[in-house]
Amino acid sequence: MDVTQQLAEFAAANSTAVLERPNPVITDAGLLAAFDNTPIDPEEYANLNPHVLALTLTSTQALISAIFTLPTKSTSSGPVVNLPTPVTLLPREKPLPKPKPPTKWERFAAAKGISHKKRDKDVWDDEKQEWVPRWGKGGKNREKEDQWLHEVKQGEGADLDPAKTARTERKARIAKNEKQHAANLSIAANAPKPISTLRDPTFKSSSSLSDSQEVKQSSRNKRKAELERSMLISKTSTASLGRYDQKIEGEPKVKGVKRKFEANVGTGGFEGEREKALGVLKRVESTVGKPKKAKKGGEGEEGGLNVRKAVRFASKQDGGKGRVVGKTGKGKRK
Amino acid sequence: MSMLRTIKPKNARVKRALDKREAQIVENEKTAIFVRGQTSSDIVRNAMKDLYALKRPEAINFSRKNDIHPFEDASSLEFFASKNDASLMVTGLHSKKRPHDLVFTRMFDGRVLDMIELGVEELRSMSDFPTPKAALSARPMMVFHSDLFDTHPTYQQLKSHLLDFYNGHHLTEIPLLNTLEHVISITAGPISDATPLPLVHFRVYTVKLLASGSRVPRLQLTEMGPSIDFSVRRVQTADEDMMKAALKRPKLAKSDVEKGLGKKRKNIETDEMGDKVGRIHLAKQDLAKMQGRKMKGLKVKKSGKEAAEGAGADESAITED
Repeated sequence: MDVTQQLAEFAAANSTAVLERPNPVITDAGLLAAFDNTPIDPEEYANLNPHVLALTLTSTQALISAIFTLPTKSTSSGPVVNLPTPVTLLPREKPLPKPKPPTKWERFAAAKGISHKKRDKDVWDDEKQEWVPRWGKGGKNREKEDQWLHEVKQGEGADLDPAKTARTERKARIAKNEKQHAANLSIAANAPKPISTLRDPTFKSSSSLSDSQEVKQSSRNKRKAELERSMLISKTSTASLGRYDQKIEGEPKVKGVKRKFEANVGTGGFEGEREKALGVLKRVESTVGKPKKAKKGGEGEEGGLNVRKAVRFASKQDGGKGRVVGKTGKGKRK
Repeated sequence: MSMLRTIKPKNARVKRALDKREAQIVENEKTAIFVRGQTSSDIVRNAMKDLYALKRPEAINFSRKNDIHPFEDASSLEFFASKNDASLMVTGLHSKKRPHDLVFTRMFDGRVLDMIELGVEELRSMSDFPTPKAALSARPMMVFHSDLFDTHPTYQQLKSHLLDFYNGHHLTEIPLLNTLEHVISITAGPISDATPLPLVHFRVYTVKLLASGSRVPRLQLTEMGPSIDFSVRRVQTADEDMMKAALKRPKLAKSDVEKGLGKKRKNIETDEMGDKVGRIHLAKQDLAKMQGRKMKGLKVKKSGKEAAEGAGADESAITED
């Protein structure tokens, strides 16, 4: 390497001189980025590293001046600059969180215009003169179970255990709440899914982690049963009813209807046998000598007219005029 | 089906950790995974080492070989991503057909969004430059030169990729002094018939701010490395619907943005030495309840339970009356 070239490179490395650019450098202070959209000159490009250094110096200077002119606030550890929202759009890591589906109570409250009242976790105990938790360890809701003296009302049996009754009642309330919670979850799970999840069966929603395991399990079992059913149907749809088809490992077994025989000696004794024979006779008798009933909406007797069908046909012909409709307007029903 | 078992949180700590992995309105910084394929070269490994050093601490390096071919089968990438909750991947490969290969992959919602394959044509790693380096976790500035990054779709994607990789996370505020330590410069060569996909030059410089007499300082740059010349190879563009979903912005209240997007850092400060200092509030100590030396004679009988039991008998007597 020539000495003059070395000197030139040293000068370039220590310079603070900024190049003239035909287009101004675009800065995006929110992302600490700058874009110089001027095409690279092939002649300058031949001398790559010094040129890139000069370009970088120019665009970084533009970025620095954009950052240093932003509003600052002073803190104990020096001035802090508020960066603006980025201009360049970059993809997110995960989709926007979906709003939680409202619970049955939330829907009801919205319909009735009931506003949410936040309940404190602790309640004031007047006797103890301190705050106690509403539920949980030492909770207010167990007060009745823990107290040593109970008032017994008139007419209540002597064997009644008030503490036990209070406990069963509390447990029942918990069970009811859990049932409602499960119902809300299952409603949320059956709610219409966004398109992206429908298109791709392998798509896994990130919220599925918090879903109830049971809800997922049941829907999975349902799908599995459906798949097995459709597989069995497709297997028997060959000419040989699937007898010579290749077997797949872990294939579901065909479970047909098992034949059942009546016991030779009827369970109901003589009376039961008589009953059965008479039932058969009655069924035969009722259809003998009677014309076949017209099917609903079908053609009916030979030569006869299916009035229902005729009316429908006629009303379709003249644009629904045949139908007698009392109200023609769109007005509300009164 | 997901390859990972779904975890049902059994305690609050696990639940908090899982909740952090859920979709958030204001997202955390993207984590990058560096992993190499079955065959890789020294050059690729060194390039990855330096790219990893620049991305730290939001990066995970896997040192073992893995049978990964991102463009042929992306399932193992998705497994890596979901297991580590990371959405950026760099895979280092080397073959006769594509020597010194780096594949940059971006994920969205645990699935591959887009990929770009770059070949390392020339590398001077960080250790080749005998200059001071930027501090760990210092936020780089990024500058892009060439009109291709504005017009050519492949280079637009490359720009988006690299910007997302090092500067994708939006910071609402930064200290003005001593934070802007280095700049990553990305320059595409001039396009011509001989070079339809010109090389991309990746350079990193440390920045020295000099007094200029005005509010805006002057700069001096020193190359700190790595210096990599990339050739652009295969590209996989993003699915349109997926990209649309990925580019959706949340509606944020202006007041929230000004307050720092809900990430309140209460009682945590950084002092002049750069150390993190926390303040803890403690209640006044009640010395009356202090446990002294335990001796049999000083034992206090638990009166509550026994009294209740004793009273239970009395109570039954009362109710029978």
